[in-house]
Amino acid sequence: MEANPTDTSGQAPAKFAGAGAPLYELAGLERTFSKGGMVVRAVRGVDLVINSGEMVSLEGPSGSGKSTLLQLLGALDSPTGGSIRFADRDLAGLSDKSLTKIRAQDIGFVFQHFNLIPTLTAEGNVAVAMFPNHVHSHERLERAKELLNQVGLGHRLNHLPSRLSGGEQQRVAIARALANRPSVIIADEPTGNLDSDTAKEVMATLIALRESAGVTIVVATHDEDVASLTDRRVRMRDGEIREDSAA
Amino acid sequence: MFSPGYAWNELRRRWARTLVTAIGLAAGVGLVMGIIGVSEGLSDAQNRVLSPLGSVGTDIIVTRTIAPTTDKTSTTTTTTPVREVVGPGGGGGGFFAGNVPGASLGSSSQAATLLNNNASVITDLAKLGPAGTKFTHDFFVPGTLITFPSVAVSDVAKLPDVTSAVGALSLQALHESGTVPKITNKVKEGGQTIKTTVTPPVLTPTQTANERACIQKLVQGNLSKDSGTSGSSGTSGSSGPSGPSGSGGGGPPPGGKHRFQIFVGGLSSNPAFEKCLTPAQISYNQNVVVPEQTITQILKPPTTNTATSSYTVAGVNPTSGTTGLITKSQLVSGTWFTSNPADEVLVNTAYASTKKLKVNGTITINAKNYKIVGLVAPTLTGDVSDVYFPLSTIQSLASAPKFVNEVLVDVKSASDVAAVTTEIKKELPGATVLTSKSLADEVTGSLTNAHKLANDLGGALAIVVLLAAFLIAGLLTLSSVAKRVREIGSLRAIGWTRGAVVRQVIAETVGIGLVGGLIGIGIGVGVCAIIGAVGPGLSITATGLTVGASSVSSLLGQSTTATATTIVHLSAPVHLTTILLAFAGALVGGLLAGIAGGWRAARLAPASALRDLG
Ligand SMILES: Nc1ncnc2c1ncn2[C@@H]1O[C@H](COP(=O)(O)OP(=O)(O)O)[C@@H](O)[C@H]1O
Ligand SMILES: [Mg+2]
Repeated sequence: MEANPTDTSGQAPAKFAGAGAPLYELAGLERTFSKGGMVVRAVRGVDLVINSGEMVSLEGPSGSGKSTLLQLLGALDSPTGGSIRFADRDLAGLSDKSLTKIRAQDIGFVFQHFNLIPTLTAEGNVAVAMFPNHVHSHERLERAKELLNQVGLGHRLNHLPSRLSGGEQQRVAIARALANRPSVIIADEPTGNLDSDTAKEVMATLIALRESAGVTIVVATHDEDVASLTDRRVRMRDGEIREDSAA
Repeated sequence: MFSPGYAWNELRRRWARTLVTAIGLAAGVGLVMGIIGVSEGLSDAQNRVLSPLGSVGTDIIVTRTIAPTTDKTSTTTTTTPVREVVGPGGGGGGFFAGNVPGASLGSSSQAATLLNNNASVITDLAKLGPAGTKFTHDFFVPGTLITFPSVAVSDVAKLPDVTSAVGALSLQALHESGTVPKITNKVKEGGQTIKTTVTPPVLTPTQTANERACIQKLVQGNLSKDSGTSGSSGTSGSSGPSGPSGSGGGGPPPGGKHRFQIFVGGLSSNPAFEKCLTPAQISYNQNVVVPEQTITQILKPPTTNTATSSYTVAGVNPTSGTTGLITKSQLVSGTWFTSNPADEVLVNTAYASTKKLKVNGTITINAKNYKIVGLVAPTLTGDVSDVYFPLSTIQSLASAPKFVNEVLVDVKSASDVAAVTTEIKKELPGATVLTSKSLADEVTGSLTNAHKLANDLGGALAIVVLLAAFLIAGLLTLSSVAKRVREIGSLRAIGWTRGAVVRQVIAETVGIGLVGGLIGIGIGVGVCAIIGAVGPGLSITATGLTVGASSVSSLLGQSTTATATTIVHLSAPVHLTTILLAFAGALVGGLLAGIAGGWRAARLAPASALRDLG
């Protein structure tokens, strides 16, 4: 299947206006954790707009709130304050069920630890992401094969994650993230477990697919080399945005 | 819905975990199968042994036994030598001679009758020839059962709600061999002359006066010629003239005023006085002569080299293969009685194996061969005999034509049993009426205990074992879910709903349950096979109906308990329902484990996929 911007907009025409239109609108976003009497404000009053098709990097030292912000962007978590709009929907206060549906249809994830299902082959790992969307199993496998070809793993379809290298595993994860033709891919330190050469390969794969699929990418990293590959660099510290290259 | 491909890969690629959990469940259901098997094995054994009457279509057995209260009487009687007067009509009668239809069923007369019947075996020994003759002979005695006239059978059959009544004759057979013992001791009695001192009747005053006058006249006449006589005649001589106030040497007078004591012998020695005596006094003056007769005393026990072995026999209706002491369904090998059954017998398998008897073999009884046509396995409580004859054959062997000692009654429906029992007791007063239930109630032994134990403990044990297996499976699943936090979190992150994750976990554990069920069935079948192979023997003792060797044994100085004991080997059958139950149990275990694991998985936040969890 050809991957192009029309494909993406065709899949979800009502979600957002198209490339360049705001995909995320965050205003005064707060996420506070209370842990054993201690209150941690992991995200403090973040105002941020991310446009469709952008590739944004979140930089910052450990504990600066990058992952927490990604969880909010990825509809994995709900804010404790402020507002977060994604594809013209207010994510704050949505039920787990609604958030799950949004994730299944519109968001892809790439994790630092790859998070592949160890008992499923590369093909199976990509296919399993389409299961919640009631895609027929043979169709799932077809699309999985196609995506794995796109990430250059057409020869590794039936390999278990344990028999793939870190870079290969992360490329399977990228294929999986694209499986449901999402609007956005949330990647939390995708090269954190990879050596620099492999990191480059993986980033190259991500960038190539972003262009062909027209997908928005938000990537958290503290790797300068990775950040330098993105269009827009956002720096965080203590849960606040300190610097935004787009501003 | 769940992803079968994912579940399948999860199970086979984590085969060690799958197998451990599955074996946990399998061990549980396998053991439960064993427990169910043992319980069913015991039930089967009990049904086989305990409900014979139901299985042969007989609901009631009517017998006449001596009441327990007469036991004392009969034993005291048997300790004294049996006396039998040899003479016309004596000794020759069969043991049924005393059994007159309608005769009193009073317990003492029963005991006496039975004793006589059983004793005939001893008197009969003498008929085999003079002492010292070698012999082999089978005697048939009724043991503790008293006979019914065959009319009793038809009387019972006529009762309302009775479908059929069949007579049978159960006897104790004594196989004796040896030499005819000297068992009788002939004693000649009588012929003696008994001299008796009698007290003559009291005389009237007139008689006394006459007598005195007569004697005085004689005395006065004699004194002049023989004065020494008065001295030699002692006190009688001097008391005579001394008058009524005189006291004689013959003991205290009963208080009569006109008492006149004399020695009859003394007077008779002096014939001269006889003419003075009254006729009444003269008649006592005689000797008593006892008539001569011979009494044969039977010594018990007879001192002889006689070897006695006993077995039990029964006469059954050869044409009734469905109701009776034995039925065609109890035939193990060979055939039932043929149309010409007079010389045919059926042998109890247990007796056949101890005596090494085979189908088509023969049994020789009193110089006549009987062909063994078949082997039967009669049920325990239904009066077990060793050898079964056609009724008429055993009746003639025992010289008891037309007599039976058991009536087997079939009633229309089980609810009629109580009413019919009452009717029979009215019809045949004193008869013992046994129902299948009363027989089963009297059965004791390790089998009943084991069955009770299996019911009481087995059920609890099965539940405990099953719960333990479920708990193990649940804990293993929980630990597996805990290890898969990142995997499950990732599934949630990429859009799997809570329900989908829970269903997936349950699908996996039910799959494990499936495997566990299959392994468990294997284990269960194995456990049951092992129990069957090495299973202990269980004894069962029925005291319900005894064609007791007891009286005969006591006559012969032997002691046998009047109970029938059967050893049943414990087996644990595997029924289809057990297999299905075990399989369902394993699936339920898998389901429960999946629910536990799913509940845990559902509580995992999708964000946990992003956390740094090592
Ligand atoms: N689930 C949580 N419960 C409590 N505190 C949390 C939780 N997640 C994150 N935090 C805290 O929020 C702050 C931000 O963490 P995080 O977003 O993981 O930072 P980063 O990804 O930039 O390293 C940290 O102080 C962290 O301890
Ligand atoms: Mg982080």
